[in-house]
Amino acid sequence: MNKLIIPDLLNSLNSILPEIVLSLTLVAIILSDLIFHKNKKLLPYISLIGLIITFVFLINQFGKSDAAFPVAAQFSFLSLDPFSLFFKVIILVSSILIILFSVSSKEIESGLDRHGEYYGLIFGMIIGMFFMISANDLILIYLSLELLSLSSYILAGFVKTSLRNSEASLKYLIYGAASSGIMLFGISILFGIFGSTNLHEINELIRTPAATQLTFLISVIFIFAGIGFKISIVPFHFWTPDVYEGAPITITAFLSVASKAAGFAVLIRFLKVTFIDSLTGNGYWQLIGYIDWQTLLIIIAIITMTFGNFAALWQDNLKRMLAYSSIAHAGYLMLGVSIFSDQGLIAVLIYFFIYMFMNLGAFYVVMLIANKINSEEIDDYRGIGYSLPLLGTTLGIFLISLTGLPPTAGFIGKLYLFIALVDANMIVPAIIALLNTVVSLYYYVRVLRVMFLIKSDKTVSVNLNPLNFAVLMFMVIPTLLLGVYFSPLVNFAKESVQLLGF
Amino acid sequence: MTESVLINLSNAILFLPVLGFVVTLLLGKKIKSIYLFEVFILTIVLLASIVLAFGKLSYFPDDKITAEFEWFRLTDTFAIKLGFLIDNITVLMLFVVALISGLVHYFSIAYMKGDERYNRYFAYLGLFTFSMNGIVLTHSIIMMYMFWELVGLSSYLLIGFWFEKKSAADAGKKAFLVNRIGDTGMLIGILILYLTYHTFSFDQIFASISAGVLPFNSDFWLSVTGVLLFMGAIGKSAQFPLHVWLPDAMEGPTPVSALIHAATMVAAGVYLTIRIFGLLTADAMMFIAIIGMLSAFIPATIALTQNDIKKVLAYSTVSQLGYMVMALGVGAYKFAFFHLVTHAFFKACLFLGSGSVIHAMHHEQDIRNMGGLRKKMPLTYATFLISSLAVSGIPLTSGFLSKDGILASTFAFGSLTGYWIFAVVGLLVAMLTAFYMFRLVVITFHGEPRDHHKFEHAHESPFVMTMPLTVLAILSIFIFYTPNPVSAEQGWFLTKWIDSPEVHTPNSTRFDFMQSNIVEQASLSGHGEIMYSEQYTEAMHSAHYPAMFLSLFFAVLGILTAFTFYQWKKVNVDKLVASVKPLYNFSLNKWFFDEFYQKTFVAGLFGLSKIMYWFDSKIVDGIVNGSATVTHALSIFMGGFDKYVVDGLVNFMAYLSGFFGLLFRRVQTGKVQTYIVLVIFSIIIFFFFL
Repeated sequence: MNKLIIPDLLNSLNSILPEIVLSLTLVAIILSDLIFHKNKKLLPYISLIGLIITFVFLINQFGKSDAAFPVAAQFSFLSLDPFSLFFKVIILVSSILIILFSVSSKEIESGLDRHGEYYGLIFGMIIGMFFMISANDLILIYLSLELLSLSSYILAGFVKTSLRNSEASLKYLIYGAASSGIMLFGISILFGIFGSTNLHEINELIRTPAATQLTFLISVIFIFAGIGFKISIVPFHFWTPDVYEGAPITITAFLSVASKAAGFAVLIRFLKVTFIDSLTGNGYWQLIGYIDWQTLLIIIAIITMTFGNFAALWQDNLKRMLAYSSIAHAGYLMLGVSIFSDQGLIAVLIYFFIYMFMNLGAFYVVMLIANKINSEEIDDYRGIGYSLPLLGTTLGIFLISLTGLPPTAGFIGKLYLFIALVDANMIVPAIIALLNTVVSLYYYVRVLRVMFLIKSDKTVSVNLNPLNFAVLMFMVIPTLLLGVYFSPLVNFAKESVQLLGF
Repeated sequence: MTESVLINLSNAILFLPVLGFVVTLLLGKKIKSIYLFEVFILTIVLLASIVLAFGKLSYFPDDKITAEFEWFRLTDTFAIKLGFLIDNITVLMLFVVALISGLVHYFSIAYMKGDERYNRYFAYLGLFTFSMNGIVLTHSIIMMYMFWELVGLSSYLLIGFWFEKKSAADAGKKAFLVNRIGDTGMLIGILILYLTYHTFSFDQIFASISAGVLPFNSDFWLSVTGVLLFMGAIGKSAQFPLHVWLPDAMEGPTPVSALIHAATMVAAGVYLTIRIFGLLTADAMMFIAIIGMLSAFIPATIALTQNDIKKVLAYSTVSQLGYMVMALGVGAYKFAFFHLVTHAFFKACLFLGSGSVIHAMHHEQDIRNMGGLRKKMPLTYATFLISSLAVSGIPLTSGFLSKDGILASTFAFGSLTGYWIFAVVGLLVAMLTAFYMFRLVVITFHGEPRDHHKFEHAHESPFVMTMPLTVLAILSIFIFYTPNPVSAEQGWFLTKWIDSPEVHTPNSTRFDFMQSNIVEQASLSGHGEIMYSEQYTEAMHSAHYPAMFLSLFFAVLGILTAFTFYQWKKVNVDKLVASVKPLYNFSLNKWFFDEFYQKTFVAGLFGLSKIMYWFDSKIVDGIVNGSATVTHALSIFMGGFDKYVVDGLVNFMAYLSGFFGLLFRRVQTGKVQTYIVLVIFSIIIFFFFL
């Protein structure tokens, strides 16, 4: 019988200080919204302060590898390991950026009276993601995933006046409900087989013959589908383009980076902790059981990136194009996961860190331009490179980095991914991924062509305030710098591959 | 003064010019006077390099300071490290670069005034200074290669600075392409080194060679590696047969010629050879000596007949660089570097002097239209004369000391090995040098003005231009290097500042006179194998005075001939030219090198490119078009899939839902249901798959 013991529980509170701070900030936002009803300007500041304090507590956890909320002697609800820390850093940095995005977003400004909801729900998402990343238990994974999803459904439809927004929100909700239903069904079957929802415990139990039952296969596939929905891999991606196009840009950017990061963290933890048998000497993971995860993931990864890239080719709307391109990036990341080795994991972590800057950066520039011209159509970007040289150039840098060309950081991300693939002797997937990169070049460069080579009579002018400039630089500089000096990032990723227990 | 202070100073010297470059380039259009920032930065760099040189030479005269950090690591075995190697040669070279770069900045303020891309010019100078400092400071061959290419880039930008002029744009391209040939060899050499030693650092490579590890385990390949690396120097230092780019590079602004194409960048090749001296075998050194000899001789004969003031100086530069390379080839390591330093000062002075003349004559470069400028430009004349004496090797100048040392070494080399050819050519070139330099001086500054209109308007240049000339002319006097005006042997430059080279090649591959027969001496001296046998020192010593008198005799002979021909007009030059017309034309047309390359390599390349073009258009394009068609079709298919299958399903669902309208109307959302159906469908596929 699993029993939580009170002193253990209290001890464990220490381990979730960042999450506690986040929750308190959420409360503070709601209270401030109620008390200072007229003054909505306060909310972003409260959010930023909350996030920075969280960051301080997070840094305190650096290098720790602990179990929090123990269930029995050797199992726990939460794990505080370098791996979760890495993803929490990504989520925190992107959250800070998103709050800064929101301050200057016209779309968000239009719903001024509901800003309390907006920032509150963003914190709901962050809390959900933090728990998701650390969760060791399927129930906790499910609950935090729901917290994340429910918050994001509402945020996707934040701009009520826009039909597009409401449609996106509703689609997202229905689709998400179906997915989490499937996932919950899978979890319940798994509990029925093993009588446990703890990943570590399941890992021990599947070494028994029970694991060969068909029901077991059904349950893990269902769970996989639930996670696949979050990271929008083919064939669970259908919601992505509609929602990404319909939602406000800030939320689209947040979904495409933070929410995806949390999804990948859960996927990696679920696969590694549940199915690992042993680590071989050179960092390859020996999986238990008869499920051929590797082939499945490789196929999904290849289909995902190919679909994403080819579909992006045909898009005329930049936001929708970035949506499809983010599906393609999920494919590259999936390929990294499918190596099932520490080296592959390092590549995924490096890629994600870089992806955060370049993808958020691209969305930010699109948002700044859309603030002015109210359009995200690529045709409306004609001559932008000349009328807005700074925004045009930075968008160019982000797109080149997304393609993966040197000397930008995107190249380093792809380089480590390909090295890991070649090291694991996965030559064919590596070549397919390389060809995909070539395809992606076409649609990214197309934007550059429109911006710089086609002249337009219309001149657009955007007045950047110092905050916009600072935020932009905060993303451009890492995108360029990590392209030439990336040792610190690589070392950070190397130290972060360790999951609790393995 | 601690080591970390020196390293921090080096960091400042390296990176400040980048700041100057970026700021000047970005703000160049908005702020007209931003160039002053770049000039200010260079002044700081100059001061820092003086402090660095002083600190290093007085507090750590015998130390080699290294600092490195890991740039990145791709796999466990492959990592690239960047870092500094600070020894006496480094700090002296840094000082030379910073000084001349600083002076050229000042000079350019007046010289480039009114240019429409004034600020951009200064930005490029900043970029160049950064790249050159990188070459000087590096501790590894790979970092040197990176800065080597950066230097090539900034040289390209500056040669073609006036790119509206076709000749300038072409010259930039030519310099860039010719340099590629040398750099390819260098890159191959670097790769061989990495394959063998798994490191790029000079120290570690040398240590491995000392320990007996050789490329492909053979002496021969060690020689080949040395020669391949030296190919980089052939390109950058414009050595025969790749010397053709340097005279064309004179299309760039004259201060640039002084900085890049006379004093610093072209010396980078010599600097590279100095850095890799420890791995050169006797065979490689022989190759280097022969290249140096040819490069000293051929351009000297061409310079005799040129009429463009900058072209004469350009060929003179190639010839003097040839001296340095030849000196390295015959083992005169110290004198090669000595000549590099002295040459940098007096040749920069000559080029800036010619800039001053060109400035005064309103961009007239043909010396046949000059004459008598002595009276109009006394200061320019005086400094030009001092540097001409230095390059001709007349006593009391720095050039005399270094050139004399090189000639003495060739004598010693001749007596030890029997190859006297280097000594003979060396003396001959000394005479030619004296002749063409004084031909230039006499025609330009003496006699009667030939173009009266331009002469009337000529004037002495402003202070910012004459000041650099004065500084450089003063530095061409012996006293800065040694107290003894006829021999530098006992001076501080050669005894205190530069060490003897460390040679690491196996004994069997060295010249006899460089054998290190003494194991204990190596351990006594504490750092590496520094070995020149007594033999060489003695031979140098006994060759010193004969070499000195002979070189002096030939130099004076050359100067007197020049005066007889052009000042006193005792000989009718035109008649003399007519009598040796074929030879004269041969020299005037630069030995027809350009024509030869045009007819052979360029024409050959065109032929090859035609074949390639055919191959490309018929076969490669066929494949590319084929794959493009496939890609296109595939993407249409994917797009179509999305459009027709997904949408079709949607429409089908709509149809179905229309059919079951009554039942589903309330919950009908169109697409989303389809999506979910598809998800369920694919989950089922997964089951069958697994």
